[in-house]
Amino acid sequence: MSNYFEYVEKLFKSGEKRSLPLKGIKVIEITHYIYGPCVGMVLAQFGAEVIKIEPPGEGDRRRYRAIWMRMFKKAEPNFLTLNSNKYFITLDTRNIKAREILFKLVEKADVFIENLRAGLTDQMGIGYLHISKVNPRIIYVSCSGYGQYGPLSRAPSFDVSAQGIIGLTMKNGWPDVDEFYKLPDYFGDYFPAMIAVAAILAALYYREKTGKGQYIDISQAESLLRFFYDITYLSITGEEIGKTGNIDPTAIASGIFNTSDGRFVAIAIMDEEQLSAISKAMNTELTNLYKGKLRSKECINELNDLIFQWVSSKTLDEILNYAKTYGFPASPVLTDVEIYKDPWRWERGSILEFNDRIYGKIHIPGSAVHLSATPAKIKWLARPVGYHNRLILKKWLGYTDEEIRILEKEGVIGYWDQVPGPCPPATWNPEDDSVFKGEEDEQER
Amino acid sequence: MSKRDELLAKLFSLEGKPSVLEGIKVVEISKSNLSGSMVGALLKELGAEVLKIEPPNGDPAKNISPYGVNIGGIGIPYFIENIGKKIIYLDLELEEEREKLKKLLLSCDVVVDAVKPGYLDSIKLGYQYISNENPRIIYVAISPYGHFTRKAEEFFNVPDSDLTAQAYNGYPSIIGDPRIKPIPLRAGIWAAWMMAAINAVIGVLLALYERLRSGKGQFIDVATHDALAITHKFPVLVGFLFGKSRPAYGFLDYIVYPFSIFKAKNGYVSIATPFDTDFRGLLKIIKRWDLEPDWKYGIDRLSDDIDRLAELHKEICKEIAKYSIEELTRRSESLRKGPARLRRLIGGPIIVKAYTLKEVINEKHWYIRNSLLKTSIDNKDIIIPNSPFKMSETPGRITIQKNNQRFYS
Repeated sequence: MSNYFEYVEKLFKSGEKRSLPLKGIKVIEITHYIYGPCVGMVLAQFGAEVIKIEPPGEGDRRRYRAIWMRMFKKAEPNFLTLNSNKYFITLDTRNIKAREILFKLVEKADVFIENLRAGLTDQMGIGYLHISKVNPRIIYVSCSGYGQYGPLSRAPSFDVSAQGIIGLTMKNGWPDVDEFYKLPDYFGDYFPAMIAVAAILAALYYREKTGKGQYIDISQAESLLRFFYDITYLSITGEEIGKTGNIDPTAIASGIFNTSDGRFVAIAIMDEEQLSAISKAMNTELTNLYKGKLRSKECINELNDLIFQWVSSKTLDEILNYAKTYGFPASPVLTDVEIYKDPWRWERGSILEFNDRIYGKIHIPGSAVHLSATPAKIKWLARPVGYHNRLILKKWLGYTDEEIRILEKEGVIGYWDQVPGPCPPATWNPEDDSVFKGEEDEQER
Repeated sequence: MSKRDELLAKLFSLEGKPSVLEGIKVVEISKSNLSGSMVGALLKELGAEVLKIEPPNGDPAKNISPYGVNIGGIGIPYFIENIGKKIIYLDLELEEEREKLKKLLLSCDVVVDAVKPGYLDSIKLGYQYISNENPRIIYVAISPYGHFTRKAEEFFNVPDSDLTAQAYNGYPSIIGDPRIKPIPLRAGIWAAWMMAAINAVIGVLLALYERLRSGKGQFIDVATHDALAITHKFPVLVGFLFGKSRPAYGFLDYIVYPFSIFKAKNGYVSIATPFDTDFRGLLKIIKRWDLEPDWKYGIDRLSDDIDRLAELHKEICKEIAKYSIEELTRRSESLRKGPARLRRLIGGPIIVKAYTLKEVINEKHWYIRNSLLKTSIDNKDIIIPNSPFKMSETPGRITIQKNNQRFYS
């Protein structure tokens, strides 16, 4: 057996490596906060060249919103990773000259991503119909709360609004407490963003075969709805499942339990084989006792009480050893710091120490999906507002320094406001930075 | 319906359109593991042909369903995640049945391995054996701790569940309100399995696209105990920056306040004020300008001092409860549409009605968009969610054969 895990490890660490899947794919994004930027991030980590267009001065408003307002070298740390590998340019889309530049960029692009309110890019004259006219091969992706059409489509949306509108928040809480909670850490942004990534990859595959681009309409609410089985349950039974605390009602028994050494352990018994496994560990015969009654509310509660009592007399390590020996799902409930320090995640490459040319040393999450021959690469972190203006205008569009100077003077392109969020670190010096000057491209680290 | 709506509804119509993955053959091997079936299901929505391998007496996942409620003997999650797949029953303990599986694996494009790590390898059907004879194979493994590292080996015998995966991703640690119950609280959907599955699907699509160029397949590894925390990134950054874990925060949020659900006079609303101007807009709506001096900046409203913030929250809750959902959404909408000069000072908070599930299934928006499907099975009407892949040329879709009681051949 051990040979197998070593074999796979070798395959990932030193097997054949090929150039990244999206090498040569050009992406333009007009995105803000988390939902849109996360889409471009995944594409960029797998080799696409992604240009993020921001309004001059303030930039993406996500730049200001740090956890408990704690900045990292004047930048928002999540923004730095969420926008890694991207090129940052500014265009005020209301300016005619800026729009000309935008359309020149779009002509060369393969993918266009936006997460403004549904219909806004149409009003701005940069919707799918406008863009596909100049570039019929474009894959245009609109990321919105509720989709681009339909009676709810014009309502504004954030993570919490999308969770609320499909009744998802009302699921998270204790049955005996008159409160419920949203899913934290912007699940309503990240999950739909990943759905959008999959749709884009599918569209690229189709275009490679047929030459055809298309329009993609991803909705936060619909992405979550897809796996919200309570809808179907309600349609069958006429009842809502509602809040069930730590009980997963699909399981035979489940919960988060206190161990004798003061830890929390989650246990979920999903099938009868696992029930007989935990029976052996508990040294009681549960399978026959509850035959024919499994998954009834009474049975779930009785089994949970038995497990609760059993766990309270065992340490976390003892429970995990039983789980390994007999084979039933059990895992500790980790905290942020435990996740950050988890040697497994470092060994796996899910957490990395990264040394950025501008921001220096930082510990960041890698990719959650590991590909043996074409692993995700983080090359650089996000940059200040307008940082790559000169580089992109020269490299993509062949502008001269003089032309760029005029655009700067006329305010067609612009740079950061001198406030934490959009601005560079205090120690950064423009004179020493040949990438900022547009003389040299970013280098892989 | 506006003209734009009509145009888009036509653009996104499903009739007569091809699917992206037509001709791609997927073999899914999963047991009591719906995350693996989610991977197969999403690929199926994009047009792949999916064969699911099950033991002779079927996949126990059939019974995994809320309180055992089922559709003709099949649990809800299994029903939804296996629509349109072809089920093949094989006893992999028997040599000749292994040979049958081997034949399938050598002729398919994608293998979804959602059984115990190392099991397929132990019967000589793992990646090394298949890729040797079929180098185009894309092999995606989805398991609690992945298929490499010491931990993966140590825990190979521990089966997966969404709850345990949520736990190891740290999710329950930050849900709930410890002042009410000092116990971690689970998310009410399969959040960890969903995030792992979509990551695996992205891996497969990347590999399929890359294969067009290189002609070669590869191994893709996703760990359900990892994918959620790594995709949303916060635990790593909090660990690095603060060296201190976040507590569960109840009604609060770490980067925006308010960003939560509130009780209005006649139901619930979600409120988000991503910018200080939006917060001022909210104060204007609830007529509490007196709160402005103390709380106007983001930095005033974001703190790990939960008791201090509770004061503000109490006031906001009290005021919101005085208004109806319609009053609140209408007022925020009119502030958002106000003159640009004014919006620099007073923005429009994002206020949206929070629906009950019964309201959700009666909302026509989801039917206009084909996002919820009403169908009849065994003469019973049921509602199932449709594919989230709304694509104008190659729409994702699920196909239920009407009046056909046997969905799984």
